[in-house]
Amino acid sequence: MNKALEQVMDALDVETFFVCDSEEAGRKYMLGLLKEFGFKDVDVVFAQYEGPGVRVRGRAYVYRPADRYRWLLGGTAEGAGV
Amino acid sequence: MSKVLLAPLDPVHDIGLKMIARGLGQAGHETVLLPPDLTPEEIVRQTLEQGAETLLVSRTLGYGVAELLARFIDLADAAGLRAKTRIGIGGMAVRRELAAELGFDAGFGPGTTVEEVRCFVERRDYVPDPTRSNKEKADMTAGYDYRYRHAGIAGKLAKISAMIEDWARVRTSPGVERARLRDELWDAERWRAREGDGTLYEHYPALCGEVPQRYYATGELHPKTRRFTKEEVAGLESYLAETKARMSVLKLQHSRRRPLVFNQYGTGCPFLDIGHILASEAWGADGVVHFDPSWGARTEGFLDGFLTHQEDGTVITPANLNRIGAGRERSTLWQVRAHRGLNTPETVVLAAKLGADLTKINICYGALGAGTDPERLTVDGYQAILYAKKYGLPFDVVTNEELAGVPAYKAFAGMLIVADLAVRLGARPILQPLFAYSPEVMIHGLMEDNYVDFNAAKVLALRGIVNAPIWPGAPIGFLTHTEDRVQSAMATALHACLGAALEVDAISIASTDEAYSGGPISVPAKVDTLRAVQEGFRFLGQAGIAPTPAADAAAAKLVAEIEGVLDAVIKEGDFVAALHAGALGSREEGAYPGRAGKDTVRTVG
Repeated sequence: MNKALEQVMDALDVETFFVCDSEEAGRKYMLGLLKEFGFKDVDVVFAQYEGPGVRVRGRAYVYRPADRYRWLLGGTAEGAGV
Repeated sequence: MSKVLLAPLDPVHDIGLKMIARGLGQAGHETVLLPPDLTPEEIVRQTLEQGAETLLVSRTLGYGVAELLARFIDLADAAGLRAKTRIGIGGMAVRRELAAELGFDAGFGPGTTVEEVRCFVERRDYVPDPTRSNKEKADMTAGYDYRYRHAGIAGKLAKISAMIEDWARVRTSPGVERARLRDELWDAERWRAREGDGTLYEHYPALCGEVPQRYYATGELHPKTRRFTKEEVAGLESYLAETKARMSVLKLQHSRRRPLVFNQYGTGCPFLDIGHILASEAWGADGVVHFDPSWGARTEGFLDGFLTHQEDGTVITPANLNRIGAGRERSTLWQVRAHRGLNTPETVVLAAKLGADLTKINICYGALGAGTDPERLTVDGYQAILYAKKYGLPFDVVTNEELAGVPAYKAFAGMLIVADLAVRLGARPILQPLFAYSPEVMIHGLMEDNYVDFNAAKVLALRGIVNAPIWPGAPIGFLTHTEDRVQSAMATALHACLGAALEVDAISIASTDEAYSGGPISVPAKVDTLRAVQEGFRFLGQAGIAPTPAADAAAAKLVAEIEGVLDAVIKEGDFVAALHAGALGSREEGAYPGRAGKDTVRTVG
């Protein structure tokens, strides 16, 4: 796991504005982007579509409760989300 | 004393510099504030001519500005200014790291105090203001005498409390028995000193349900829990020690003393909870509320050990509560909820022995909105109140049955019944009306114009009945939040301002993940709302929010309706029967008498 990601307490949110023609398209872009970044545990928290595009916030859980957090353990733990 | 030149490189903005100049002047330094239209060459020349030891320039960073600032430093170097003069940069978007990269001796971003700049000028290390962490733990029940302002309601509540007392004092349950064992046989200090649990577990498992019994017999855990490893525990201790060494806590209320601000934790994992609590404290939460898993409320008895849980809600065990409670800041109020399930009285005892400051008890909500048998929760709630009194633990009386559809006046009647009983038993209850866009509100259009009047009416109605602390929850703005974090933080902040304007004692706030159900609440979502509330309080100061005349009318209606509910309970002649009969919330209104713990109550003596 990337060193910076190890220090994420729980989740990484990505917010942006996609130029697209529907909310569904914006959601797909976001999920695709997060997966391209290498995240497995991903979701769209919020999406709002208006004519010019979609305002969207995606989330990648780096850790879920009961995972072994690297920010606590140093480099020996297994993260869940990446 | 030294000479300081202050130069706005920004063509317009020099307010920050003026404030700093004033502060440095008051500290005895000679300050010269240059006008805002000088070129970099003129600034360097004037600094050399005046022989200043320090030059402070301000500039809002933006596109291309970094290059301008780098050129300024080159110019200063070339002119030999740096040999004698230290140069600092301040302004919006300035970060210390960026300032260093550009060659400045210091960088001052938003929120910089005069003291920080003074330390730079005086070549001293900056030590953050210790008053930032000088928050004191507050008792929100102090100053309330629980005197009734409404004689009619007072008389009716007295009759109902007597009815409950006569009925409950001769009954017991497995929950009451476990609480008695925890109270009499378990010494928290000896347990902390690793001297064991006394004789508690010789008797305790027999009073538990299947899951805890299996645990005590074979060590088998609930399927979604696991024990922490030694390595994880050691990691937590170093994380806590390192974080505590650099912790300070914010005060959110600006110029007000109240409301205290609470948020919840309960990710399932006590370690993650500790991380969330530290962040909440740092960003200004005055208190935190422990959320346990819903199956915990339906399980007779607690598990033991240091356990993490994969789903929402952090399991109540002595070790979990102890570590979470001990990790908090000295000023942080800690509430452990006991209100709704089969472990209500034991939760109060355990939480109190482990240092909790507050708990939560409501017989009516637990019996009508949370699945516990009314008879069982009346007995357990009664004993829980007695323990709350014994251990000096104030508790809120929540009215979340409103969220199921029970009208506010019925939920309030239930809350006042429990609060009255508590006061008679010597405890210190706190009224917890919801600030919510509840089903009743939606159906009857009570908030068609604004979210102010009906919420204000609730507080006005309660204040017209009794002099008691009020802590709206939980969280404020319930069902007004969406998944949009800007909207969600804004909704919370506005409801917080309403609470402040109404001078309530505390509020419970959500995170901006309140309406998101796809995963656990994240720590930035908690910071979002704390920041929003801080900004709201800064905006409001001592100013007010004026409800329309509709608020007074709604308050009067609520009071009259509450009186009617109390009459119905008295007419029923039996509190448990009144719960079943729908006097405090009917099936049609969304209240369903619970079944957990049914037929477990027996009479004693």
